[in-house]
Amino acid sequence: MKRLLLAGAILLAGMGVAKAKTIHILMETVPDTRYIQQLLPEFKKETGIDVDIEAISYIDMHSKLVPQLIAPQGSYDVIVVDFYWVGEFTKAGWLMPLDDLVKRDNVDLGRYVPKLLDLVGHVDGVTYMLPFYNYSMAVIYRKDLIADPANQAAFKEKYGMELRVPQTWDEYKKQVDFFTRDTNGDGKKDFFGTVIQGQRGDCISMQWANYLYANGGEYHDKNWNPEMDSPQAVQAMKDYRTHMLNNSPPGSESFCFDEAFNVMAQGKAYSFVTFNILYAGLDDPKSSQVVGKCGITPNPGGGLNGGWGWAIPKSSPDKDAAWKFIKWVESYPIAKKRALLGGAPTQTKIFTDPDVVAKRPYYPTLQKILEGVKDFPVFTYTTEFVEETGRELNLAATGQKEIGQAMKDANEAFRKLAIKDGKLKE
Amino acid sequence: MAMMATGTVSPKAHRRSIAAQDRLFGFLISAPGLAALLLIILFPIFFTIFTSFHDYTLIHPNFETYTGLEKYSEALGEGYFRTSIWTTIRFVIASVVIEFMIGFTVALMLNTVQRFKTIYYFILLMPLLINPVVVGLTWRMLLHSELGIVNYVIGLVGIPGVNWLGDPNIAFWTVVLVDIWHQVSFMAILLLAGLSALPREPYEAARMDGASAWRCLIHITLPLMRPVITVALLLRMIFAIKTFDIVFIMTKGGPGTATDLISYYIYRSAFFGLDIAKASAMSVLLLFAVLVLTVYLYRYMKSMT
Amino acid sequence: MAGGSARSARPRRSATIRRLERLARHVVPHVILIAFSAAIVLPLIWVLRVALTDKLTAYKIPPEWVTPRLDNFVAIFTEYPFGTYFLNSTVVAVSATLIALPLAAGLGYAFARYNTGGMALRLFVLSSQMLPPVVLVLPLFAMFLMAGLINTWAALIFAHLTINIPFLAWILVAFFQGDVAILEQAARIDGATRLQAFVRITLPVAAPGILAAGILAFILSWNEFLFALILSGPQTNTLPVGLASMQSHRGVEIALLSAGTLVAILPVFALLPFMRRYLIKGLSLGALK
Repeated sequence: MKRLLLAGAILLAGMGVAKAKTIHILMETVPDTRYIQQLLPEFKKETGIDVDIEAISYIDMHSKLVPQLIAPQGSYDVIVVDFYWVGEFTKAGWLMPLDDLVKRDNVDLGRYVPKLLDLVGHVDGVTYMLPFYNYSMAVIYRKDLIADPANQAAFKEKYGMELRVPQTWDEYKKQVDFFTRDTNGDGKKDFFGTVIQGQRGDCISMQWANYLYANGGEYHDKNWNPEMDSPQAVQAMKDYRTHMLNNSPPGSESFCFDEAFNVMAQGKAYSFVTFNILYAGLDDPKSSQVVGKCGITPNPGGGLNGGWGWAIPKSSPDKDAAWKFIKWVESYPIAKKRALLGGAPTQTKIFTDPDVVAKRPYYPTLQKILEGVKDFPVFTYTTEFVEETGRELNLAATGQKEIGQAMKDANEAFRKLAIKDGKLKE
Repeated sequence: MAMMATGTVSPKAHRRSIAAQDRLFGFLISAPGLAALLLIILFPIFFTIFTSFHDYTLIHPNFETYTGLEKYSEALGEGYFRTSIWTTIRFVIASVVIEFMIGFTVALMLNTVQRFKTIYYFILLMPLLINPVVVGLTWRMLLHSELGIVNYVIGLVGIPGVNWLGDPNIAFWTVVLVDIWHQVSFMAILLLAGLSALPREPYEAARMDGASAWRCLIHITLPLMRPVITVALLLRMIFAIKTFDIVFIMTKGGPGTATDLISYYIYRSAFFGLDIAKASAMSVLLLFAVLVLTVYLYRYMKSMT
Repeated sequence: MAGGSARSARPRRSATIRRLERLARHVVPHVILIAFSAAIVLPLIWVLRVALTDKLTAYKIPPEWVTPRLDNFVAIFTEYPFGTYFLNSTVVAVSATLIALPLAAGLGYAFARYNTGGMALRLFVLSSQMLPPVVLVLPLFAMFLMAGLINTWAALIFAHLTINIPFLAWILVAFFQGDVAILEQAARIDGATRLQAFVRITLPVAAPGILAAGILAFILSWNEFLFALILSGPQTNTLPVGLASMQSHRGVEIALLSAGTLVAILPVFALLPFMRRYLIKGLSLGALK
């Protein structure tokens, strides 16, 4: 009996010693998460650390993260931060600055696309995150329709210009108009020039941003004076409303990107101004009828930048292991493997790496897109800004409020928030 | 009242001691439930009330600044908040009334039939077992104006496609209808349980006097069902006021503010506006409103007999 | 109850009308119930179709016939920890209901029979339900964090008790009123104590109500989302959170979601045996008196 107990004690002690460290990460349920999960055994081999990735829906992630970040010690060692929350998380002091670790371990931040590092990397000169993936916006279009000689001839006749990948906003608008048609002669439009994701809140805000940039508008000047009621902004809303009423399927007032994606995927639209990551979905036979028929090009005037970054919360239980993970997952070989599997890249070299380009020929275009993107106002109240201006934009787009008035109200809401955050002096 | 052999105790004292024993028993039997509830809920309720009087945000979660009734006046001053109150009232009345009428009819029918009861009940349960997030996502798929099966089917009989979620006026009713589809079984189940507990004698006597089914319904069923009906209406009203996920998933309060229900408004204030204090203030206002409504409804139903 | 009524001057209804009435009484309820059932089942049939195919087919209009496959039902278990979600939901919902029922029955009985605490206590008990969950979840999180209960079943079960106990108590009040009181009195006269009367008379008679309330409480717990989202961790996420996670930045995985939805309805099969016994029992109980 005594020997049994001794053996049992040794076994237990042995188990205690051999027990691996585990870190916990909260991520979104996107394919990128799955790709990382596939590569985790390599991390375990290198460092002996187990990684437990909990994946939840992205719209609920903010609600779930906040209590974890306020708590002195939370459940997550590493988190991913959406650019919306960057201002909020840093102002509240929830993220650990990474500069010392970056310097100590010689992490080359120059390998990142500068626009992404600005968005989800540095905040006021301090490094809080390493860019994880990008979802910047661009124009997806049907390249087979442009290549069709019948279309080319008709377009040239109507507008006196070539039908080609749209380079200017004016050209794009003409194309959108041109392709909105009734194809089966029943008196109803059934093919649309574009798909509007006009749902109140973040869907309309993100898509409309591209219209603003295309018209040469800005959200604010360099002193944070809001400019959402400028003539360019008003024109951008006029363009948006026209597209919503005339060139997009009914129901666009309430579409978010999934509904809009499906219209494009079912082959019922010519173009879609949206996140570049949806482009891959159009080549997936399980969700798309237009496999191989779509192209992607930068939004004239600049597209909206978007992305997620890796961060270590101050409430992280194991900051060392967390940093080990971030270094590993963003190391070039791993980042490249992720891209090969289908993940959205953030490091410049990956876009031109021959192995990657062979698998994803549109990556050079994607890099061009990333070079021209512009940022949303990122500050403490970005999320609320999106909500309030999103409401005004939706009211204007659906004709419930006069455009000029709505843009003034949106501008005013923005001004109040900018003052509240101290960005704008009263 | 129960009369037991009293021996030497005076009747009045005896009655008083029975009343005291009653009170004690009531207290003892409710104590465990009450204790469990208080243990968990007391802190959150007081926390909510306390925060509503301070400047408590997610950025600065502390009670350093006392703001008194400022958050309340701020909330009431927001035009969109007032709009959402009105939208919520319309939503609650529409959905509860319609759910009650359909639910009661279904319960009556289910109580009457002999065969297939189990199958009907089975089907009745199904929508309730789907959580609201999924109900929203599923109906968003079904009601897609261009690609949804609903518009396709009604198109087959010649009705033009409806802009279920994009037209501000229609969107409101769409949300009501989806809520009804999801929750009407709640009423039906509760009312059916009430119906099946009703005594038979009144009906047998009424039948012998030649009363029609309709008179039985009005003069026997409804009065006897009053307690169950009251609680069904009350609970459904309280839950309807808290409707959140359907709006969050299907419309985000839009188009415009057509479906901006108060629960979603408060959520936005807390998690997007990061202003817990204002969200708390709005919640406390809501609490008072619902308490008043509850008392009013309860008294009204009592006076109906 | 029904008093005597004049039988004298009433025209006799013709046999045909009476036969029509009988027919109507038998057929009409079924017609209504079938219409109602169709309204519920038809959308679910479409969900089944989507679950058996893919996202492309879900949105293809006009709908095309595609060979059904069970891929999605498999995928939800391999690509998502669906088994864990299901287990967690079951444990939490069953526990929260079973624990809440006796506690709430005591509370409800005290309200119904002895008016314990008067209207004020009743309202206070229900007031936690009148606050939107979003303001309750943060203090609850703080409490459970201090108690070290985050990412445990216990946290969710306790949180759900705050929903179930008030809800159940209020429903049971309605079922503890009425004729039951008379039966209790009879038992007390025969020498039963208050507790004995409650357990042996009231509870069995109120069984249909208790059962219905229990089912509804189970469902509330099964579907609860916000507390589950905030108070749980990777091992304790429930079905609503898991199903919601099928929406991502790349769109909604509608086929997987549909498969998951149907799997999540399965408890209805488990609840059904209870229904059968008490539905029939309930009806005959009415006749016993």
